[in-house]
Amino acid sequence: MSASYKAVGWNRQKKIYDGLIFAFCVVYLLIFCGLTLVFNPEVTFETLLIRSSSTLAVLLLHIILSIGPLCRINKKFLPLLYNRRHLGVTMFCVALVHGGFGIIQFHTLGNTSPFLSLFTSNTRYGSLADFPFQALGFFALLIFFLMAITSHDFWLHNLSPRVWKTLHMFVYLAYVLIIMHVMLGVIQYETNPVFVLILFIGAITLILLHLYAGSMEVKKDNIYFGLQKKGFVKVCTINDIEENRAKMFCVDKERIAVFKTEGKLFAINNVCKHQNGPLGEGKIVDGCITCPWHGYQYLPKNGQSPPPFKERVSTYDLEIEGADIWLNPVPYPEGTERPGVIF
Amino acid sequence: MKENISKDQNGAFYIGWMAGAPKSFVRFIRKYLLAILSLVILLAGILALSQKKFGTGNFEFGQLTEVTGVYFSKPLPCIKVINGKDIWGNLSYLTIPLVGYGKHGAVGMMADIETERNISLNQKQLTLKGTLLYNDGKTILQVNKNDSPVIRISSAMVASELLPVKKELGTYNVKGEIIDPKCYFGVMKPGEGKVHRDCAIRCILGGIPPMLAVKNDQGESNYFILVGASGEPMNQAVQDFVAEPVEIHARLVKYDDWIVAYVGSKKDIKRFSYLQSRFANSVQYCAANCTK
Repeated sequence: MSASYKAVGWNRQKKIYDGLIFAFCVVYLLIFCGLTLVFNPEVTFETLLIRSSSTLAVLLLHIILSIGPLCRINKKFLPLLYNRRHLGVTMFCVALVHGGFGIIQFHTLGNTSPFLSLFTSNTRYGSLADFPFQALGFFALLIFFLMAITSHDFWLHNLSPRVWKTLHMFVYLAYVLIIMHVMLGVIQYETNPVFVLILFIGAITLILLHLYAGSMEVKKDNIYFGLQKKGFVKVCTINDIEENRAKMFCVDKERIAVFKTEGKLFAINNVCKHQNGPLGEGKIVDGCITCPWHGYQYLPKNGQSPPPFKERVSTYDLEIEGADIWLNPVPYPEGTERPGVIF
Repeated sequence: MKENISKDQNGAFYIGWMAGAPKSFVRFIRKYLLAILSLVILLAGILALSQKKFGTGNFEFGQLTEVTGVYFSKPLPCIKVINGKDIWGNLSYLTIPLVGYGKHGAVGMMADIETERNISLNQKQLTLKGTLLYNDGKTILQVNKNDSPVIRISSAMVASELLPVKKELGTYNVKGEIIDPKCYFGVMKPGEGKVHRDCAIRCILGGIPPMLAVKNDQGESNYFILVGASGEPMNQAVQDFVAEPVEIHARLVKYDDWIVAYVGSKKDIKRFSYLQSRFANSVQYCAANCTK
């Protein structure tokens, strides 16, 4: 969390994270290129570059897309999420090597511009089997480019979290384009079924992870709160919430986190202003509600980030009756101070 | 309403901007990274070893070779050179088609040279300088205007035995794949198939003569230069058929060590499915034999 913008707010964990990304990429490239050169020595430098970068980019994309659902399933995966954008930018750079060299190799030095050639060489757009697969890869690369250049928090704040998040959800469209790019391209050329098998296993794994993590969310969101009075609903008892922790409740489509700390209960909106992280899965650290995704912090009493930060979330009223906690799901304007309830 | 919160999740909390992660997180992530490392090694190995074998074509990139022979402009620019002697001691010849730099044919460039020098090069003995590419017994010469490729032009009459030996082979249906010979014979690997289609189309549209690569069941290859019925270029006409199985109906004429396929029109090129063909053959075979 930083009050001003830096290219990269380096810290020890980011350095370890990026070091590991680099090391893993180098290991992959060395093995792929080494084995290809030994067992398939007729390969050209350009083909080696195009193939090693493409397979690495697809592998990285699968890892990136699995991190979100893995974190929903098990919080121990959160260190992978913290610096995921660096993994994304790395994947884009690797994909750019593939796409860039692909365009240079297949479309330059011809009788028309490389980009025009990309879309007008193979014109079988009406055929699925003969579809110009390179165009699909180009559009996927374009999405990755937009995501990479807007990955910095500067763009998150200037575009607004909603627009930024919507833009970055296009990664799923890019993934579909990449799958089609591979299926209609190299899979049609290579005869070994291992390529299609690996791609199939990767896609199925991602789909199952997303479905499982999504079903966990839906279960939480669909809990029905039967007992109601004067706009309040009974959500849980005091003992259901651990000290300095919260429970999340979805009432009238509002996700609300109820925190317990130092003999008081506070309710704030569950959605972090940074990247929509689940504040209810966070913890109170140094008196501040801390988002589990990137460590953004808010004061429990008013939902405001401590100065000089400016993020604010809605607050809600709570009541206690015996050991039961009652919650009013009508939000106060973001940053409105509420006293909390003493138990 | 009861939700299980593990002790560990309660006690340890990960914050990315702090100096270190809780030990329980570190232990867990180490195991995950080990699994990912194994996956990385396994996938890199499997993917590298599962690739189709690349062709043995050679492109002498950056190396210029001087070639002396007789230049012919039809049916495509080529130079016929002496290639040693055969087993009976007779001179044998090799016809080397010419292609231009990048994804361009040599027709325009050779025509420019003829205009500049105000001379017809057809059937003249020339010494050309260019980059050789070769595979499967075929050789092609890339000539680049920037290299001043025409070194010598002999004004002497060409001996009659150096003129192309033409032999009519008849009209046939031939199945194969339309390729651009420059990439196929050495510049790119792979230089055929769907992955190379865009490049092959760009090369052919740039003037590199289209060829039909044919392989029989024994893996033996043959190559046919594709031209129109009167020998005119048909680069534009083949655009939609490049790099996929096709069957052409053409008059075949052998010129020395190359066969030229004179294709009547675009209608004489049909898409062809090996899978459907094998299925149809099996059905025919079964219909004829299974009831016996």
